[in-house]
Amino acid sequence: MSAVVAEPSLTDVEMVVEEVWSSFLGAEDPLMIGPPSELQVGWSAAVTVSGEWHGMVSVELPTAMAEQVTRRMLCLDDDGQPAPDEDVADAVGELVNMIGGGVKSLMPGPSALSLPVVAAGRVARPSDVTEVCRFDASWAGSPLVVSVHVQSRTS
Amino acid sequence: MKILVADDSRVMRQIVIRTLRQAGYTGHEVIEAENGREGLEKVHAEAPDLVLSDWNMPEMTGIDFLAALRSSGSTVPFGFVTSEGSADMRARASAGGALFLIAKPFTPEAFDEVLAPVLKH
Repeated sequence: MSAVVAEPSLTDVEMVVEEVWSSFLGAEDPLMIGPPSELQVGWSAAVTVSGEWHGMVSVELPTAMAEQVTRRMLCLDDDGQPAPDEDVADAVGELVNMIGGGVKSLMPGPSALSLPVVAAGRVARPSDVTEVCRFDASWAGSPLVVSVHVQSRTS
Repeated sequence: MKILVADDSRVMRQIVIRTLRQAGYTGHEVIEAENGREGLEKVHAEAPDLVLSDWNMPEMTGIDFLAALRSSGSTVPFGFVTSEGSADMRARASAGGALFLIAKPFTPEAFDEVLAPVLKH
């Protein structure tokens, strides 16, 4: 294994997430940074980067926020009805795809980005990874967490 | 003109189509594909004037879609709209014959900058 062990800084991750938010979600409600919170995970999604750099980027959101993200990305009115699961999974997956792509572009390359894995609840992570970066924020009054995991150093 | 938007995310296809409109490209016919393989079929069946394609898609990736188009003799103008904005990916896109690569997230201004030479408002 000759992969580089590097870690994105919190500032890197914050910059990537803010760019995604301001482009597609934050015109009316800006993303607020911190504080760390114990959020009730409704939806989560993860992408992995493999190649010169190996890592896993994940996003965790409460259900109401995941639905709000979906409505905002699809330009749908909030009619009080829950967004269809298929649309929520698509929107949350696309969110982590963009954030993961941004993180990947800041890390040593070349590497490949996986398709997103989306879960209602928390995406299970391999047991041999360690969190190296955690970005806490809130949007429209709800918390979200973006985290980066890398393989634990064993040698 | 006819524009083919290929992305496995319906949400992202909607955002791309909306951004085209916001960038002033109205009145064009837009057709959609969920992956490169479907995109390839639609290029041959419907002869679009421009292809905007994601990179990472199941069934057939965007770069394989582009390679299949070029090896079949198609010269349709092709650009990527992808979260893969690294220098390495841009070089691979260009080497494959793509006109441009728009990195997600994007703005209407970013669309206009690369589309102005190939698409009428």
